[in-house]
Amino acid sequence: MKTAAYRANVRKLILLAALAALAAAAYLLVEVDPRYAAFVMRLRIPKLIVMLIAAFAIGGASIVFQSVINNTIVTPCLLGMNSLYTLIHTAVVFAAGSGSVLAVNGNISFAVDLVIMGVTATLIYSYLFRKTNHNVLYVLLIGTVLTSFFTSIQSTLTRVMDPNEYDTLLSTLVASFSNVNAEIILFAIVLLAVLVFLLRRDLALLNVLTLGKAQAINLGVDYDKSIRRLLLGVTLAIAVATAVVGPISFMGLIVANLARQLLKTYRHSQLMLGSIFFGMIVLVGGQLIVEHVYSYAIPINVFITVGGGIYFLYLLLTKRKV
Amino acid sequence: MKVTELTKQYDGKTVLNGVSFEIPKGKVISLIGPNGAGKSTVMGIISRLVARDAGLVDFAGKDISKWKSQELSKRLAILTQSNQIQMKLTVRELVAFGRFPYSGGRITPEDQQKIDEAIAYMELEAFEDRFIDELSGGQRQRAMIAMVIAQDTEFILLDEPTNNLDIYHASNMMKIVRRLCDELGKTVILVLHEINYAAFYSDYICAFADGKIVKFGTVKEVMTRQTLSEIYKVDFEILEVAGKPLSIYY
Repeated sequence: MKTAAYRANVRKLILLAALAALAAAAYLLVEVDPRYAAFVMRLRIPKLIVMLIAAFAIGGASIVFQSVINNTIVTPCLLGMNSLYTLIHTAVVFAAGSGSVLAVNGNISFAVDLVIMGVTATLIYSYLFRKTNHNVLYVLLIGTVLTSFFTSIQSTLTRVMDPNEYDTLLSTLVASFSNVNAEIILFAIVLLAVLVFLLRRDLALLNVLTLGKAQAINLGVDYDKSIRRLLLGVTLAIAVATAVVGPISFMGLIVANLARQLLKTYRHSQLMLGSIFFGMIVLVGGQLIVEHVYSYAIPINVFITVGGGIYFLYLLLTKRKV
Repeated sequence: MKVTELTKQYDGKTVLNGVSFEIPKGKVISLIGPNGAGKSTVMGIISRLVARDAGLVDFAGKDISKWKSQELSKRLAILTQSNQIQMKLTVRELVAFGRFPYSGGRITPEDQQKIDEAIAYMELEAFEDRFIDELSGGQRQRAMIAMVIAQDTEFILLDEPTNNLDIYHASNMMKIVRRLCDELGKTVILVLHEINYAAFYSDYICAFADGKIVKFGTVKEVMTRQTLSEIYKVDFEILEVAGKPLSIYY
């Protein structure tokens, strides 16, 4: 059914894509001295690609996650998925030592993290959802506790590390926007592409899955299996995003809800695209401002966390029921 | 559909103990009984939402677990009481989901026609472009029924369809159930708390207590003083109103 609302949404998506492209072009071209253009591009292009990857992973995963647990104010990051990734990453290096191949080779270290992340996150979160019976307030509460729990273990580990070792680790291990992990760009892109390909059937079922378990089964969908697969996909996508740019808490919440508010549809193909484009605009546009207006004085995470926190409160207060 | 020796335990507590019955086709069958008697569990098992510990659910010659879920969804529709839909979904889009077992996400002209018919049957034309979360409880319930109609199945299972509805909407709901059976020839199985709705609008009643069937029969057979007192442990009077048994309890 290609209704008027559907076509209107297509136009909105095209506009968003254009804005994202504009932000990307501006990011590359603003204040470039022609004499050093090649050098500037070598710095900016990997950073831009990394931001686009992060926007894709966070934007897509947040929508999927919200639909899987059937609530629009929860995102994977709010439940501590990115702290879990940071913890795993630190623990692996802690156990293996900073000189081992697990720490030195970015791609191998990333692959090991991904495997551990996929297993532990699926176990923890599917248990959490089952145990709380998908009650979103419990999920949020436990998620918040988990976030601080993971973060505390992680900081304990870094404290007991040899200071010199920690110093070398910090620069290579914990990514941020000023220190993006460009080493694993290719790996990340391939992984995301494979994920989307393997999950294409489950993604196509998302519209039905959001009708709830009983309705989805009624309509002939193998609910539990699809949910498990999608949840695994979400954890891996979040792992990718955290690996390349580090944790950004409220990013998923902002972009997923902006997409939902703008598009007002149940079609996940549109919602996911909208969320991804919003992610690109927020990240690339935000970084542009950080670099050229504030000259790196304030990292973009601060803007996203402050803005996202306020937006989160707004969503909580304006929603009739959580 | 035939159920044999269903057994189910939750945490070591037996909630169903050897339940067997056969569902007559083209009739309205109500499952009644006090809380915890096992009626909703039976409903859950025959609609494949709840796993059983032992027993068989034979559907058209094959156990329900042997059916491909998608094939089953063309013959058996379920409507549970928990229907909080978080999405921005219009009535028409919701009803269109009823066609999912047939054509996946792609709506064919035939689907389109079935959707139109279902909307017209539930008299929802005026609301078809409204969002579900903007409707009243009664309208939302009708939209859900329209989706089930679009699903075009022989069997319809309704879990407490009158729950949370006022008298007006609840009795309308029961009239719709009757029409689904009489006009569209469907077999409707429903769990009801209100015995008099069961007595007035169904053909058969299956009465549960303590995880067992106390009595399964026509409305007249089940709606007797002894049977109802035995099930609910309360004194009953049975009156006759409009040729149907009406129970009074206090």
